[in-house]
Amino acid sequence: MKINQKLFLQFGICIIFFGLIGILINNLTINLIRTGLGFNFSWLFKPASFALAEHPLPYTSSDSYAWALFIGWLNSLKVIVSSLILATFLGTLIGFARTGTNSLLGLISAGYITIIRQTPLLLQLMFWYFVGFLGLKDNMFIQIKNILNISNQGIEFSGLTFSSEFLALLFGLSIFTSAYIAEVIRGGILSVSRGQWEAFRSLGISERKGLTLIILPQALPAIIPGLTSQYLNLAKNSTLAIAVGYSDIYAINDTIINQTGRAIECFIILLISFLLLNLLITNTMEIINRLILKSREYS
Amino acid sequence: MEPIVVAKNLTKSYTKGLRALDNVSLTVDKGKVLVVMGPSGSGKSTLIRTFNGLETFDKGEINILGIKVDSTHDERKIQKIRRRVGMVFQQFNLFPHLSILENITLAPIHVQKRRQIEAEEYGMYLLSQMGIDSHAKKYPIQLSGGEQQRVAIARALALKPELLLFDEPTSALDPERINEVLDAMRTLAEQGMTMIVVTHEIGFAKDVSDQVLFMDSGKVVETSPPNIFFSNARHERSRKFLNQLDKH
Amino acid sequence: MLKTYINSTIFFFKQIRKTIFLNLFNTIITLLIILLISVASIHAFKWLIFKANWKVVISNLPLYAFGSFPPDEQWRPATWIISLLLLSIFTLCGPEWRWLRKNLLIVWLGTIPLGLYLLYGGLGLSPIMSRHWGGLTLTILLTVFSSLLSLPLGIVLALCRQSSLPLTQKVSSIYIDVMRAIPLIAVLFFGQLLIPLFLPLGMEIDRVWRAIFAFTLFVSAYIAEDIRGGLQSIPNTQIEAANSLGLNQYQIIQFILIPQALRIALPALTNQSIGLFQNTSLMAILGLVELLGIGRSILANPEFIGQYIEVYVWLACVYWIVCTIMAVLARHLEKRMTINQANF
Repeated sequence: MKINQKLFLQFGICIIFFGLIGILINNLTINLIRTGLGFNFSWLFKPASFALAEHPLPYTSSDSYAWALFIGWLNSLKVIVSSLILATFLGTLIGFARTGTNSLLGLISAGYITIIRQTPLLLQLMFWYFVGFLGLKDNMFIQIKNILNISNQGIEFSGLTFSSEFLALLFGLSIFTSAYIAEVIRGGILSVSRGQWEAFRSLGISERKGLTLIILPQALPAIIPGLTSQYLNLAKNSTLAIAVGYSDIYAINDTIINQTGRAIECFIILLISFLLLNLLITNTMEIINRLILKSREYS
Repeated sequence: MEPIVVAKNLTKSYTKGLRALDNVSLTVDKGKVLVVMGPSGSGKSTLIRTFNGLETFDKGEINILGIKVDSTHDERKIQKIRRRVGMVFQQFNLFPHLSILENITLAPIHVQKRRQIEAEEYGMYLLSQMGIDSHAKKYPIQLSGGEQQRVAIARALALKPELLLFDEPTSALDPERINEVLDAMRTLAEQGMTMIVVTHEIGFAKDVSDQVLFMDSGKVVETSPPNIFFSNARHERSRKFLNQLDKH
Repeated sequence: MLKTYINSTIFFFKQIRKTIFLNLFNTIITLLIILLISVASIHAFKWLIFKANWKVVISNLPLYAFGSFPPDEQWRPATWIISLLLLSIFTLCGPEWRWLRKNLLIVWLGTIPLGLYLLYGGLGLSPIMSRHWGGLTLTILLTVFSSLLSLPLGIVLALCRQSSLPLTQKVSSIYIDVMRAIPLIAVLFFGQLLIPLFLPLGMEIDRVWRAIFAFTLFVSAYIAEDIRGGLQSIPNTQIEAANSLGLNQYQIIQFILIPQALRIALPALTNQSIGLFQNTSLMAILGLVELLGIGRSILANPEFIGQYIEVYVWLACVYWIVCTIMAVLARHLEKRMTINQANF
């Protein structure tokens, strides 16, 4: 009886669900036929005919859409990885400052965290781009013997150049994420019992050494999952690149849709790109987590 | 005598070979109190929980208040049983987000579809019976363990059950709080309530019960009237258990 | 009297010494910070008073608040915002009457039709198209509508994901995981683009509603996970107790599971709505003139060109203040919930 009821319910839900999907797809096909687009991916191999300011691999406007998308993916990866490193570094520092004994430092980092967390990321990015970089006077801000050159075009450092778009995004994302990472670190440190602090202090170990050698290793199991979710957020937030004109995967999809009108196909491409990025981040973090656990077993 | 609970050859195994219930049969007549005793893991909690369908069983049959349930575990029949059988748990299991009175009136209003005022009046009557009517507006966390357990008894009584099941009702309480709950249960027994009680309280079993059922490893070792069980238990296993209880 | 005063002062300074001048390293850091802060605040002060030109903010205040809503009708969005504000104050500090508490949710839901009526007009008020909506009004409208719509959807998704029916479980899992994998800007952009494609011919919905739907679809996935966390932390004994009282499956969900899950998830849920408030700013790059969008269009005005810092600082202040108010209200609500509630 119970099983029959369940089957019946399941069947009903099935009909409603697929009926709904059917109606939506029906509407979609009618609309696609009306606009004369249809659904296919053959356009991917036609020339993109738009220029990209930033490309880690060679690219010209006669290259295909597929190649442009790949360049965008690489650009995304570049900004995500570099912000991830910078944000982790900053966030850890601020997290330590927040939990440390120096109350002035604690107060300042608390202020930093509330200002960053209670204002929109997009506003912060625009601030960094329009005020931080484009606001620099003229072309030259700092120039040291052709080694370091900071201008409104970006930063040039011994042959390496970083565009102001990239830098604004890097700073904005790192600073925004660092405030969240600081809270993750703080939560992790607070999750270690008071007794551990008293134990290392009673052994005469200094605060800094105790923090890095005793407290942090114990806090890591609580920190890693929080970090992973912050990294995933960072990856998703990197799509705000479009606001400062950096050509990441989303910005390129946007351009392609404006050129070709292929919204559905581009949505699928973007979805797959992000599933890949997420998998990459979660798997890397999983490996790091396992390495940490392993190093414990042997030590 | 009208039997309220009849269980025949109940068998349940969690994993192969390990039996939680092994061919258990018993009968409880109307107005009688059955105390179930036994070491931990002997299956006494599993047994009592099959009587309102919280546990399934593999073989056998139970007949509660004339409703027969077998191993197919018919959901509708169990629902019928649950409306007429109350249960009190070891950990009280009050609903933390509801006030004491709301805890008690929830089932009468939504299961028996009684009017709210009527349910609240009866709820207040039950609370005063339990001596805790002054706490009606409070939340479970604000009460002591003994008080919470008395609320749980009132909650079970709110559906006017014909059978009450107690699953170690005093095991989670501070020693000085145990008697207030046992006294409430004594009063219920005197009023003629049919009860099945899993407990280690020898005093309660001696005074109140009509039969004591002793279980070990899922089997019924013996069923005797309390005066025989506590003075001259028939089985070696029961005597050993009672000796150990005495030492504590 | 004097002695205790002196003693407490000495204690205060000792305490300061202990916390900021503990050792050489700390002393150096403390001095550096003090130096840095003083330099920064002198510069900030100079800029605020002498250099900054606040005309870009002051002369455009109605724009920031109501967008291009006709000036004669601006009392309408103002009324709505003030009524929301009063309602939240009342929710937090109002009397504890039972009937009132029970109906408060209905009053909150009532703000939706009230807002729609005041903004759209009709029935005695002159009708106003949604493209005239803007500024803080639009930001709040997007936040409130999307939050209220995504809560029930999130609850349903969470229950489906926990359900024993494999199909509903799978479908909602996939939906939640996919939504959480893609960035919000993509959901909003494709919402603007794709929602019309899925609608039957001749049926259209405007940009604001498309944005609200997209936000709802996105946020409900996150809310679903928060509520699922709440559901999972309810001990199984609660369900057993409800079962033994004869409550059926739906009654258990309605009276036992959802109220407890919502209470457990409350801090996460309030964080979601604060996040949502901030994220409405994304609509600025998708063609709505909400708070940030208005800022951008003011900056595009030749009269105010290049005054980025003033506008951004001002907008940051507005966002910060509203977020802080929301956070304080949320904290208050959480406390209130835990005062009379149990061992969560």
